[in-house]
Amino acid sequence: MHRREWLTCFSMLTAVGFAGCRGYQYGHVIKPGAENLVGSHEAGAEVFDPLVDEAVAKFLARQQVSPEDCKIGPDGFPAKKTICFIGIENKSAEDIGDYKDKLYNQIDSKILESQSFTPISRRMVDAALHETRMRPDALMLPDNMQLFTAVLQRSGAPVDYFLYATLTSGTTKRNSSTQRDYELTLELTNVHTGAYDKLSSEVRKGYHKSAMGKIWNYNPLKR
Amino acid sequence: MIRCDPSRTSVTQYRAAILLAIGYLLAGLVSVSQSGCSTHAKRIAQPRNLFYDGQLQACRESLEKLSKTNRHDRDVVNLDLAVVDLLSGQAKQAETRLKDVRDRFDHLEQDSFAEKTVSMWTDDQVRSYSGEDYEKILLRVFLSLSNLMQDGMDAESYTLQIQDKHEQLADQFESSSGKKKDEYTPLPLGFYMRGMLREATHHDYDDASRNYAIASKLLPNSEPLQWDLARVQSGVHSQPGHGVVYVFAMVGRGPYKVEVAEHPTSAALLIADQIISAVGPYKLPPTIAPIKIPDIVVPPTDVDAVGVQINAQRIGPTSSLANIEQLAVSTFQANRNSIMARAVARRVIKKATIVAAKGSMDKGGLTAIGMDLAGIAWEASEAADTRCWGLLPRDIQVLRVEVPTGDHQLQLSPLSGNRPIGPSQQTSVRVVDGQNTYVICWFPDARSVSQIMCSNR
Repeated sequence: MHRREWLTCFSMLTAVGFAGCRGYQYGHVIKPGAENLVGSHEAGAEVFDPLVDEAVAKFLARQQVSPEDCKIGPDGFPAKKTICFIGIENKSAEDIGDYKDKLYNQIDSKILESQSFTPISRRMVDAALHETRMRPDALMLPDNMQLFTAVLQRSGAPVDYFLYATLTSGTTKRNSSTQRDYELTLELTNVHTGAYDKLSSEVRKGYHKSAMGKIWNYNPLKR
Repeated sequence: MIRCDPSRTSVTQYRAAILLAIGYLLAGLVSVSQSGCSTHAKRIAQPRNLFYDGQLQACRESLEKLSKTNRHDRDVVNLDLAVVDLLSGQAKQAETRLKDVRDRFDHLEQDSFAEKTVSMWTDDQVRSYSGEDYEKILLRVFLSLSNLMQDGMDAESYTLQIQDKHEQLADQFESSSGKKKDEYTPLPLGFYMRGMLREATHHDYDDASRNYAIASKLLPNSEPLQWDLARVQSGVHSQPGHGVVYVFAMVGRGPYKVEVAEHPTSAALLIADQIISAVGPYKLPPTIAPIKIPDIVVPPTDVDAVGVQINAQRIGPTSSLANIEQLAVSTFQANRNSIMARAVARRVIKKATIVAAKGSMDKGGLTAIGMDLAGIAWEASEAADTRCWGLLPRDIQVLRVEVPTGDHQLQLSPLSGNRPIGPSQQTSVRVVDGQNTYVICWFPDARSVSQIMCSNR
């Protein structure tokens, strides 16, 4: 009897021993056009990509100007407006971590590709901020704006517009479910006249503690 | 007179074979256990003494030898080696070692039932060590520091990894303790370093403010953190023509684990009962003799902070951002009952194995005595798992000072109660306009040899 118990115990322990072992990690390349992962705890590509696409598309559509509004360049053709994209300010409830620089590059690249504007290189913007020791949010003060644009002009990059991007969020809670509305706002200010324009895009996202949370809270038959 | 019954010859042979097999099994287990009988605490004692004596090369050789001879110690020894590398000016080598251990720990965080099973027959030292929570965060902090001592290209990535790890540990805390994720207390130093690097970009003050605010919330009494927060909310990184020197001071001798014999607590017995009930038809005995478990030791230290002078002008003392002593003690206290329970369950399983083995053979004579002796040796060979990152300071402290660009003489001295208690160390720092210069120093105590490293990139 004892022997049987002992052998049972030994075999159970051995079986448990072989039942589980550490796995490896694998990776794969996601094909273009494939759906993004949807972040379970915070925003990711599924939120930021459409936010940037929509905001920049709206921005470019509204800022398309007729040739008569443009200054004429030395070559006789209409000169493009020069935009200084100062940066992105994150005022949302989440820390966006490594997404901040990615968002900057996404917006900057799309504006550059549009051929409607001439963006100033980020490295020049950084160098000017470094030289003047100004905070990005303090550039709208008249003296600061003058000094900052003078530094850029001296570097061969005269500025027509300042562009700021701001990421904000609004949170609605209902028991164990949360809805977060993410908004990306692009704010364009004419440094010569002070006139400004503002555009935004929004993506709403729900977070739930259970798989049924989505069905329970967003059921079209419920309302 | 011995009678020989021919009809029982085959049964006797069978029992002899079983006895032989069990003898081999026990001998094997005892020899395996004996090889691990010496604890990590004993093995690391000599390299640690060499380190605090300032003999970094001898310490490195001793640790490398230990890394080669003891497979289960390799990761923690590599962490110690990384500290030695960093303080002896080999920041790149330190970064490589730390990256290896980071990846190993990430892999070892997954459960291995095979190791758990073997540990029930031997001791906890055969389990792979995936680091305590605070060690996982500090590993990434040291990765950032190692990188900042070079070109700093990957330092921001490492600070992001600190945040990722915090998130992961908070999730684990929520699932294992049943408490809310918000109740998890992260390490302020990680947030501080993220804020420090974002501030140095001159345009991501919002990120810096967010991170300093978290660090400040975790250390509400830290005045320098309040200054940092105020600066990034309304000021700038530095005035034109100025740069910033960050002094990261490693203060005191850090905690380490030793083996102690203790009576199991009632909470530990409860967990142990659950473990052995799951394994077989066994029950806890009414009394349990003291069991070997690890305990945390914090060596006494006479250094509170490090005083900073630049060009003979007193700047001030460093301020604590990572109280490692407190972290190590609280982490250990949280896991103590589980460690104890495993030791109790192990003892019960070993005893039951011996009793069952004896029951299957002759119940008297030399065999039974032999089995009892083997059982005693088996239990005695067990040792506590004392693996830990042994060459950590007791406290990591920081001081930030803005100075004009150019070369400056930096003087650092160990302080106790705001008074110098040991010889100061000097080094030259080159400050670049609008940039950060990083200095790492270690003052274990007033008598030990201190080390200083400067980025000067």
